[in-house]
Amino acid sequence: MTAAPVHRVALAGNPNSGKTSVFNALTGARQRVGNYPGVTVEKREGRFTFNGSQFELLDLPGTYSLSSYSPEERIAQDELLYGTSDVVVVLADATNLKRSLVLLVQVLQTGANPVLCLNMADEAERAGQRLDLQLLRDLLGFPVVATVGHKGEGMGALREAIAQAVATPAGAPRLVLGERLQRSLDRIEAVLEETRINLSIRRWVATRLLLDDDQFVSRMKEEGDAGAEVLRVAEYERDDIEASTNEDIELFVTGRYYGFVNGLLREVVTRVAREDARALSDGIDSIVVHRVLGMPIFLAVMYAIFWMTFSLGETPMAWLEAGFSWLGSAISGLWPAGSESPVRSLLVNGIIGGVGGVVVFLPNIVLLFLGLAILEDTGYMARAAFIVDRVMHWFGLHGRSFIPMVTGFGCSIPGIMATRTMENERDRLATMLVLPLMSCGARLPIWLLLIPAFFAPKWRAPVLWSIYLVGIALALLLALLLRKTVLKGEEAPFVMDLPPYRLPTARAVVMKMLERAGLYLRKAGTVILGISILMWFITSYPKANQYDVDAQIAAGEVTVVEGRSATEMDPPATPEPARSTPGEIAAQRAAADLRASVAGHLGEGLEPLLRPLGLDWKVGVAIIGAFAAKEVFVAQMGIVYAMGDANETTETLRAAIARDYSPAAGFSLMLFLLIAAPCMATVAVMRRESGSWKWALFQAVGLTVIGYGVALGFYQSAQLFL
Amino acid sequence: MTATAASENLTNALEDYLETVFELVRDRKVARVKDIAKARGVRAGSVTPAMHRLAELGLIEYVEREYIDLTPAGEKAARRVYARHQVLSRFFQHVLGTPEETAQEDACAMEHSLSDEGMDHLVRFLEFMQVCPDAQAFLAAFHDCTRLTKGPDACSGTCQRRSRRRGMRAAKLPSIADLRPGQRARIAIVDGGGAIRQRLLDMGLLPDVQVEIQRMAPAGGPVWIKFEGTQLTLRRNEARAVLVET
Repeated sequence: MTAAPVHRVALAGNPNSGKTSVFNALTGARQRVGNYPGVTVEKREGRFTFNGSQFELLDLPGTYSLSSYSPEERIAQDELLYGTSDVVVVLADATNLKRSLVLLVQVLQTGANPVLCLNMADEAERAGQRLDLQLLRDLLGFPVVATVGHKGEGMGALREAIAQAVATPAGAPRLVLGERLQRSLDRIEAVLEETRINLSIRRWVATRLLLDDDQFVSRMKEEGDAGAEVLRVAEYERDDIEASTNEDIELFVTGRYYGFVNGLLREVVTRVAREDARALSDGIDSIVVHRVLGMPIFLAVMYAIFWMTFSLGETPMAWLEAGFSWLGSAISGLWPAGSESPVRSLLVNGIIGGVGGVVVFLPNIVLLFLGLAILEDTGYMARAAFIVDRVMHWFGLHGRSFIPMVTGFGCSIPGIMATRTMENERDRLATMLVLPLMSCGARLPIWLLLIPAFFAPKWRAPVLWSIYLVGIALALLLALLLRKTVLKGEEAPFVMDLPPYRLPTARAVVMKMLERAGLYLRKAGTVILGISILMWFITSYPKANQYDVDAQIAAGEVTVVEGRSATEMDPPATPEPARSTPGEIAAQRAAADLRASVAGHLGEGLEPLLRPLGLDWKVGVAIIGAFAAKEVFVAQMGIVYAMGDANETTETLRAAIARDYSPAAGFSLMLFLLIAAPCMATVAVMRRESGSWKWALFQAVGLTVIGYGVALGFYQSAQLFL
Repeated sequence: MTATAASENLTNALEDYLETVFELVRDRKVARVKDIAKARGVRAGSVTPAMHRLAELGLIEYVEREYIDLTPAGEKAARRVYARHQVLSRFFQHVLGTPEETAQEDACAMEHSLSDEGMDHLVRFLEFMQVCPDAQAFLAAFHDCTRLTKGPDACSGTCQRRSRRRGMRAAKLPSIADLRPGQRARIAIVDGGGAIRQRLLDMGLLPDVQVEIQRMAPAGGPVWIKFEGTQLTLRRNEARAVLVET
């Protein structure tokens, strides 16, 4: 059977024009999302079939124009110039026609084979706008359809239009950009003929050269004499235009684009939208963005999202925990009790334990993204960015950084993923890099273990508060530092479109939520699985050759008794070596095993580094475990101290820790755990969202070094002053 | 012999030697014949007679085969020549835009003939160029013009445009950032440059477009505007680039 012909279609359009809805409506579930290599820009591809042909759809980043300033624009431009699309669908926002059509003009100049899709047609109609669609088709000379993406209306017509465009590609675009501009472009194109620039993209290249675009100027310099001639002609035309029109070239060209679009719309729009079309939305804004009410409303919304995520998520989380626990026992039960089978240990402790520990957060993730999707689709996010931008900008961040950072207080992973809404790459990277400093939920057990161990009741709340504050302060400072050094660069425009409030469709919101959840799960299945196994291995092997406790039993120094372990008794008592339950003996063996393992050796190896912080190898081992997931720290401490199955509320563990370390050391440990070594899931997500290992490793190493420095500085200063 | 009288007896070549000795003493505390020879690109044999002469004039201390140092009179004379060199080369480089190497050569050639009075005027001119903002703008415009291959005729457009903008600014047109919520205005000029200006233009903020200010975020935060059925926010610095006429 011969394969169905595959046609490639690119989808271009402004941000906020409903492009994603149309993409989803066309491709359904058959899509995949990734990153363009090396940048934080999302790459979305999918496919659909129509009339026996297959179509591959590439969703280009949303852009307002094709100039070369931002990574999104460059990627869109590159794809249009050098990609292999048979058809380019330009998605216009029917309620914002002028701006959308300017992008269309630029796409036409790249030589694309176009289809114009007027999306949000329902909203435009409700606002009173009426268009003569047929006249528009006649004037433009290529297919034009009207759609309502989020309701899935018009998709059939769109598919048909795409197929039609494939069958009969459009001829030369009928653009009327004014005689002056056209003459200049013609002259530049004439000289471009001598170069190796492809015929179909010459119009666009000529335009960019007229605008003195560095990227294309460099390209011309590779074309030898012909290129030099082109540059000379371009420069001449540019100077001539600027001298004779009294406008700079950017204004001139953009002005011609708008001139054409305005003329086109005058012909085609039979009724203009009402002035008060946005009255309801504006009314809502007058409250939501109110000078006084705005911030409290914003904080309330944030709190609601948080609450929804963590309170509503409690129950499903408990189910998942129980489920994984049950699974662990069930698998464990396949072996006889007391078996030391490594396979069992691998499955139960390594895989189920490791992966389960991450998957258990799924309800939180799903709920959080549900909340964020609703905020985004209603349009509230843009308002929130408006409100907080002043503060964020001061630290080199962006208004849109706020919500991902607040999300980080729950868990860094969804926080980092939530930065996808940020347009500007540098802002996005800065936000992602400092995000782990927002003390996440997994660290809370650590604080709950360490703080009561070292601090009297009246100090506990302030100390907890101070840890969170240190995290926030450091995050903001580092963001500022990054923006001035590594991420220095011309500031990206903040100019942000404010769409009217829209009611999100359940379908769009759920799809967004599922997509994020799916990405999160896939991460758990891949990198985290690998690292879980690795962590399991280095904490389990090699085992101790002999156990002190066994020697003690043999020597008669210890007798075995039945009963509860020391950790279960209260008031807390120091374990008496003379009388130990099997549970306690097992715990002592476990402690010895941990010490003998690779992780134990690593921990001991770390000791010289930890001593200046007032800490020792036991903490070192726990820190290594914490790389898998922060809450593992507590469990590992429990094992090291031979407390067996300890958690943060175990009094004896707290007491043991308080005995071994000073309060200053305790706080320096907390500082270290707050700042250093983000958990492996964070590293994995960072890798995915930033598009390269470089940033993930930069973050991991950088934060560890800083964490060490801060903890060291604190402890040593404490030694001097206390 | 007074210092001035001494230096009036100096040939250009000797002045150059004195200048070199001055620079070496400044950098290395003492000068040696071989250093001088290297700096001037001559043989050591040519240096020695010059040193004798300068020592005769009381301008340097010359201990044969040892070191050379400046006398107080010598230092004063050297400074005079050195200052001329600096002022001239700065003029050529920073005002005229001559490339550094040529500027230094020209300065070397002219430093001996520049009179004290001429020097005064030149120094004052340079100070003026550094301090007066109009002069800065003028200099920037001149340098832009020199970048263009075609010369003054071609850049007259740029000049006209710039003077129009400057004129507008001089007339102190307000920007969007200066308006209050509820005010309407017509865009006159979109100033600024780079990515930000291109974004403003791409979004439709062109001259002759009517805008209305909706609100402003507190504490110097972004501005929210309305125009042609669309609503946008801009940061204050972006808003300041959009000049309007009310």
